[in-house]
Amino acid sequence: MRDRDTRQLALMLAPFLLGLTVLIGVPAVVTFGLALTEYDLIRSPRFVGLDNFRELWDDEVFRISIRNSLMFMAFAVPLRLAGALALGLLLHRRFRGAGSARTSVYLPSVVPDVAYALLWLWIFNPLYGPLNLVLDALGGPTPQWMTDPRAAQWAIIVMSLFVIGEGFLVVLATRQSLPGELYELAALESAKPWYVFGRVTLPLIAPTLLLLLFRDTIFSFQATFVPALIVTEGGPPPYATTYLPVFAYANAFEYLRYGYAAAATLVMFVVTAAIVYVQYRIVRRWRHAFVV
Amino acid sequence: MAGLVYAAVRKDYGDVAALRGLELDVADGELLVFVGPSGSGKSTALRLAAGLEEVTAGTVHIGTRDVTRLAPAERNVSMVFQSYALFPHLTVGENIGFGLRARGVPRGDTVRAVEDAARIVGCDALLGRKPHELSGGERQRVALARALARRPDVFLLDEPLSNLDAQLRVDTRAELKRLHATLGTTMVHVTHDQLEALTLGTRVAVIDAGVLQQVGTPAEIYERPSNRFVARFVGSPPMNMLPAALEDGFLRAGPFAFDPEVLRLGSRAAVEIGIRPEHVAVVRSGDGVSAIVDVVEDAGSETFAHVRASGTRLVARVSPGLALEPGATVRIHIAARNLYIFERETGVALGGIRR
Repeated sequence: MRDRDTRQLALMLAPFLLGLTVLIGVPAVVTFGLALTEYDLIRSPRFVGLDNFRELWDDEVFRISIRNSLMFMAFAVPLRLAGALALGLLLHRRFRGAGSARTSVYLPSVVPDVAYALLWLWIFNPLYGPLNLVLDALGGPTPQWMTDPRAAQWAIIVMSLFVIGEGFLVVLATRQSLPGELYELAALESAKPWYVFGRVTLPLIAPTLLLLLFRDTIFSFQATFVPALIVTEGGPPPYATTYLPVFAYANAFEYLRYGYAAAATLVMFVVTAAIVYVQYRIVRRWRHAFVV
Repeated sequence: MAGLVYAAVRKDYGDVAALRGLELDVADGELLVFVGPSGSGKSTALRLAAGLEEVTAGTVHIGTRDVTRLAPAERNVSMVFQSYALFPHLTVGENIGFGLRARGVPRGDTVRAVEDAARIVGCDALLGRKPHELSGGERQRVALARALARRPDVFLLDEPLSNLDAQLRVDTRAELKRLHATLGTTMVHVTHDQLEALTLGTRVAVIDAGVLQQVGTPAEIYERPSNRFVARFVGSPPMNMLPAALEDGFLRAGPFAFDPEVLRLGSRAAVEIGIRPEHVAVVRSGDGVSAIVDVVEDAGSETFAHVRASGTRLVARVSPGLALEPGATVRIHIAARNLYIFERETGVALGGIRR
């Protein structure tokens, strides 16, 4: 009986494990290897030791792309988290139109990346794009989204703020799983909404928020890739929206420097891991407050 | 402190009526117990008093205040939930002081009130712990302490004992009664356990299908049930019910015959008689109707025998000294003065001897 259980389990896990190995495991190992070589797809790879990393260290563009990626992370991650939290708490109640409201929050997350980017390309158009038309009508500033470096960086952040469907759903589900009696009790004890939020809701969904924080941090490096490639094309000049994945992409597929691109990817991996580790350390200090 | 008055309170959930015109006056300082099967509307009655649900019609007064349209916070009532509803991330002390802090009571006063409340229910040694470190009984105490820290006008207790194991439930029941005696605050307690209702309440309100069946002291409820539902619901094992009819000058129910004069039956013929198990006298031999023992339940201090007398089944409380065995033949005697009589159609109790 136990043997059969194990076999059944293995069988069910097999497709996932196979995919994980072929699509993630093997390429990761290859990337590790490639990072130590010079490889242009034509000649066979040539071992160069740590030369790629030395070159990265001196590469002005690489440094810019790291800075861009970190800046994106610093703004996009907290804003996305706050957005998912606010919408999740706002829409967890039942009311007329709650279903459609929830759907519309999630909807942008199911639009394919490229289609989504093309849509924003139109929205951001400084001449006929709806965003600047609205801003103009309201008497606000009308940034040159595609040509002003600062505005272009904000454009990428703004784009990322509307694809928070997963985070929203997770917050929604967590909030709905909290016992109703806790809130009834708070109502009987005349706790004001902000008091309930700070003293009850936030601490109780904090574990979920932390999970989302880690996840979003990891994804934030990759999230910039398609928008930066399609909407801003790494520009405006010189390298305002050249993020780490764009840098790696350009080196691999435009300059055919696979070894160099692999080294950049490896640095991206290490930076992500380091940031998540630091977050984890900070969180662990005050985590005891939230243990349920 | 204040009493609680329900006047023609009705609560509908869509097409379903949860409470149909509840009229009830809970006196100041009373411990009233709502008892009924699940879905009877007893919890709804409590939640309407708390303001967690809105009445469909009627009014609720606490003391002299009409609280019908007031928010829960404005009613000055405390509630203990079946699940205890302790905040898992707060310590026991913070849980007890939650309501005071939420109301902006200064920290020093809160600490004093928390310590007082904790001492009263005997959980003052637990103040620094988290709920997950407590046993079920300890959590229950903390929930009680939180309810009384604020000194409310009325305590509302929604099945607070039903998550405790049997022994603890009995102990806590007694403590709750003592707590009520100490505080003298009005308490409304909801339970589905008739024994808990009888032992705890100064008065008991039996409720079924959204209708208040009877209100009275535990003795009144037990000895003079106003209808068949109350008679069957209160008491364990439940009252034996037998259809009965007038025949050749006797009220006959299965093999049993009673003198209708003694019962003051009047003209009503279609009735049902009820006999509590302790009123079914079982002897080895002698007078009475012959019966066969089916099952014997020995509960230590009490023994119950399920018997069959020519097709009529009865449960009897027998003396343990009788040493009955299944299959044994016994004699049964039922005294007419112990009969409860109900109209067969409506279930309403008729003026039997006991009324």
